[in-house]
Amino acid sequence: MPRESYQNQLADLERRVLEMADLVTERTAQSLEAFTYKDEALARTIIDGDAEVNERYLELEGACIDLLALQQPVAGDLRFVAASFKIITDLERIADLATNLGQYTLQAERNRYPDIDISYIGEEALSMVGSAMTAYETRDTALAREVAARDDEVDDRCERASDLVVRDLIETEVADETTFADVRRMFLTIRDVERVGDHAVNVAARVLYMVENDDELIY
Amino acid sequence: MSHASTTAESEDSSTIDTALSTESRDDRSSRPDETVIRSSGLDVYYGEDQALDGIDMEIPARKVTALIGPSGCGKSTFLRSINRMNDLIDVARVDGDLYFRRKNVYDADVDPVALRRKIGMVFQKPNPFPKSIRDNVAYGLRVQGKTDDVDGRIEEALRGAALWDEVEDRLGESGLELSGGQQQRLCIARAIATDPEVILMDEPASALDPVATAKIEDLIEDLAREYTVVIVTHNMQQAARISDKTAVFLTGGNLVEFGDTNEVFSNPENDRVEDYITGKFG
Repeated sequence: MPRESYQNQLADLERRVLEMADLVTERTAQSLEAFTYKDEALARTIIDGDAEVNERYLELEGACIDLLALQQPVAGDLRFVAASFKIITDLERIADLATNLGQYTLQAERNRYPDIDISYIGEEALSMVGSAMTAYETRDTALAREVAARDDEVDDRCERASDLVVRDLIETEVADETTFADVRRMFLTIRDVERVGDHAVNVAARVLYMVENDDELIY
Repeated sequence: MSHASTTAESEDSSTIDTALSTESRDDRSSRPDETVIRSSGLDVYYGEDQALDGIDMEIPARKVTALIGPSGCGKSTFLRSINRMNDLIDVARVDGDLYFRRKNVYDADVDPVALRRKIGMVFQKPNPFPKSIRDNVAYGLRVQGKTDDVDGRIEEALRGAALWDEVEDRLGESGLELSGGQQQRLCIARAIATDPEVILMDEPASALDPVATAKIEDLIEDLAREYTVVIVTHNMQQAARISDKTAVFLTGGNLVEFGDTNEVFSNPENDRVEDYITGKFG
């Protein structure tokens, strides 16, 4: 095939994006576990490991820019590089959210909301990320659309969790600083897990653009 | 060279000159989206070999239209059939129709020389006459019979070709003394001195270095404010950079895709075009 080195660079980019996705997914799963079981050692590992994800992100950003500058991809190749360029940003943001979860784990002195199962919400969001990346790897647009549809479920779970926090706050007669800190942290936790789902939808949107030049999910 | 028109009469029986003699470029400026060149079922044969196969294309006014494709695909043949340069090849034969505005350029009453004043051409290799810079441009004016304010018109053409500032002090020097890029811009000045409406360019920058190429590309974009530009290029990035419309010719003299350049380069409709522009074949 002509332009063999270029074709290899495209294949290499895809492989490395998928590796980054595996790393980010694994860390996010661990952050949910750390949060659920208040595993502070694991939480510290997640926080310390964020630098590695950032490094991967910068390497891949460089690879995309090199491809654009040196190979001038067009058509399907261009959409692949453009989609990959956006997807690595979403992956990096998901890793940041995992780091936040690690920090909330360290900050919380107690679990004020035993009825709220963050890992139940988080696992659904994370499963969406996995499906979105499978859609990227296999160019499966039906799967990409399915990911977008599943976001409503994550949003519903987050809304129900938020309701529980609000109800608890209303029922608390005297709210002290610790209570406020618990409430604030739990809202942030719910918001962050919900955003993991949003990033999965972003990835799915880029897959749709990449494969079909369809921007229906982008805006 | 013979022409066997498959349709009966042209839509307008006037000659190229009379068809356009009443308008100046300024008059035409108000209708940028209008079609200037329209080919319909255009076939070109060189002897027994078919070089173009049923080309249908509408080239819009005051835009840059790029013709791309692998060698031998017919893009230069198409370019040359627009101003009947193929007439110069004995074995060439044309079927189908090619309209310049409403006039079929292959009608018997069309004077090819008059046609080429309206549809000028710039070649791959700069070909200035072995005369002074001034005379190179004045030639274009002379063939048009424009004898008044020659100096002013020469300056206008050289400015139009973005060359004036570099040569205003040495108009008497030979055109052959100029650099390759300057020679090419001199040829563009010579072409626009005849007050054409369309400028055809056959790989105008392929013999030039990157700096001279960049100047020609800038110039092409400027020219498209006043003229309709049709350019053949082997450099796909060049086509992507400077053109508004892209036509992709593939083997067998077929026009496989024609559309807005950003669409062709971001989301081509045809799989063979995708393979060609991404470098998977060709």
